[in-house]
Amino acid sequence: MKIVAIGAAAIMALLPLALPPYAMTLLTEALILGLFAMSLDLMVGYARLISFGHAAAYGFGAYACGNFLLHTSMPVPVAVLLSGLLGAVVAIGVGWVCTQATGVSFSMLTLAYAQLLYAVAFKWTAVTGASDGLAGIPRNPGPFGVTWWSSKAGFYYLTLGCLAGAFLFCRALVASPFGAVLRGIRENEAKTLGLGFNTRHYKIAIVAISYGLAGIAGALYAPFAGFANTELLFWLQSGQVLIMVIVGGTGTLIGPILGAVFFLYVQQQLSNYTDSWALFFGVIFILFVLFLPQGIWGFLQARVRRREV
Amino acid sequence: MALLELDGLTKRYGGILAVDQVTMHVEKSEVRAVIGPNGAGKTSLFHLITGVVRASGGSVRFDGQDVSAQPAFVRCQRGMSRTFQLTSLFPEMAARENVRLAAQARDGKRWLPLGGRGVFAAAARDGDAALERLGLTHVAERPAGLLSHGDQRLLEVAMALAQRPKLLLLDEPTQGLSVEETAQAVDVLAKLFAAGDLSVLLVEHDMEVVFRLSSKITVLHRGAVIADGDPETVKADPGVQTAYLGGLD
Repeated sequence: MKIVAIGAAAIMALLPLALPPYAMTLLTEALILGLFAMSLDLMVGYARLISFGHAAAYGFGAYACGNFLLHTSMPVPVAVLLSGLLGAVVAIGVGWVCTQATGVSFSMLTLAYAQLLYAVAFKWTAVTGASDGLAGIPRNPGPFGVTWWSSKAGFYYLTLGCLAGAFLFCRALVASPFGAVLRGIRENEAKTLGLGFNTRHYKIAIVAISYGLAGIAGALYAPFAGFANTELLFWLQSGQVLIMVIVGGTGTLIGPILGAVFFLYVQQQLSNYTDSWALFFGVIFILFVLFLPQGIWGFLQARVRRREV
Repeated sequence: MALLELDGLTKRYGGILAVDQVTMHVEKSEVRAVIGPNGAGKTSLFHLITGVVRASGGSVRFDGQDVSAQPAFVRCQRGMSRTFQLTSLFPEMAARENVRLAAQARDGKRWLPLGGRGVFAAAARDGDAALERLGLTHVAERPAGLLSHGDQRLLEVAMALAQRPKLLLLDEPTQGLSVEETAQAVDVLAKLFAAGDLSVLLVEHDMEVVFRLSSKITVLHRGAVIADGDPETVKADPGVQTAYLGGLD
């Protein structure tokens, strides 16, 4: 297993040498979305907290980072991390409000928060540029003329580094005592509370961590695309990332990354033929839910296990 | 000083008095049962003690401190471990993981977000010991949801035990079991209590179970205590006989 992981990492690191520029752009975007989807998996897959408004965290990160880069000389990596941190801090409040409710009501509150930000983004022209959004977001250099992230391949490495770091962090998190409590909440929250865990605190914490990581993903998107607009906060974005998580396989961390790559690839291919690609992707999604509910990664794991037996 | 002291504990739901001025004690190393006919207020009393429901009046003192205003999970942190009337487990986790998570709840570092090998090791030790005491070691690796109903009830007791509680609270431990399963479960519990290191409060309506397991009995009727003492005294009490045999008017 370790060999496979190292091999995969090496291939990912060498890809810029082999791929044409447009493919690099696509792959970088896929990794950003992969980080976004993985952050949602922490909530959906490990604590059964379904966020219908994860775009809030993504868009928040993008706007925060856009402002840092436009109005200060902060280097890109610092702006990205700071945006994620800011998103996590704000999400403590969001988590506090949303975890007043459970189940569908919780999901609706997350959606409400996202829609609130969406509405604010349209009105708060000074910070968000309203319907025009923020354009011309630069990839600010670091001190001593460090600029490696301004190139296409450089930005890919920056994104890959963020994703790898976040993945290792998440993997340690779900394997920790904290992660064990999350699984308890997922399976039987009343019992977890009855054992003496203050489940609300754990839920707020995982919302903050998840939103923080999604914020980093959004923060990467701003200098990647060079712009941030209200679409990043729209509920469609929230729906798509939830689809990536489910198609990739919930509660697996790696699955949602694959789900994001799959989503972007299929979207790219379908949109060559038709404008209503979403319709066809909807069919694919339904097929997944019906026939492959464990998702891509869950399916692959089951295959490997069967071969070992 | 008693481990658990209830003083004038009262719960009113609108005009209905579910629990009426209950004053009782549980001493250290005592196995006390609260019994009473259906609707006597046993479950309401259990909820007041564990903190699931706030009392309308009176107080709960536990281990020398007034816990009346504390929420359930804090009381649990202080050393009250409970089982649920309807079996409540983590069905997809192995029995071992169930008790391990229960034991983890007592660790000061139960929330560690990274690492935590020491936490898991200590919890596994307490958890495995609890499984052993309830004779569940042979099913330790099986998902809790796939255990027999009797084993599931015992697993819940094991989870509470894994927390090394000061007071073990059992809510109808044989609820929903067949006659044979009840007999088996009672045997296991009797052996567990015979060791004498546990302080137990159990709520139960099955009289046979109560007389086998407990050394002290408190009888509730319409929310109020009508008798309190050892099994023989309680059995002979005319008020108890009327309450149980004279109809539930």
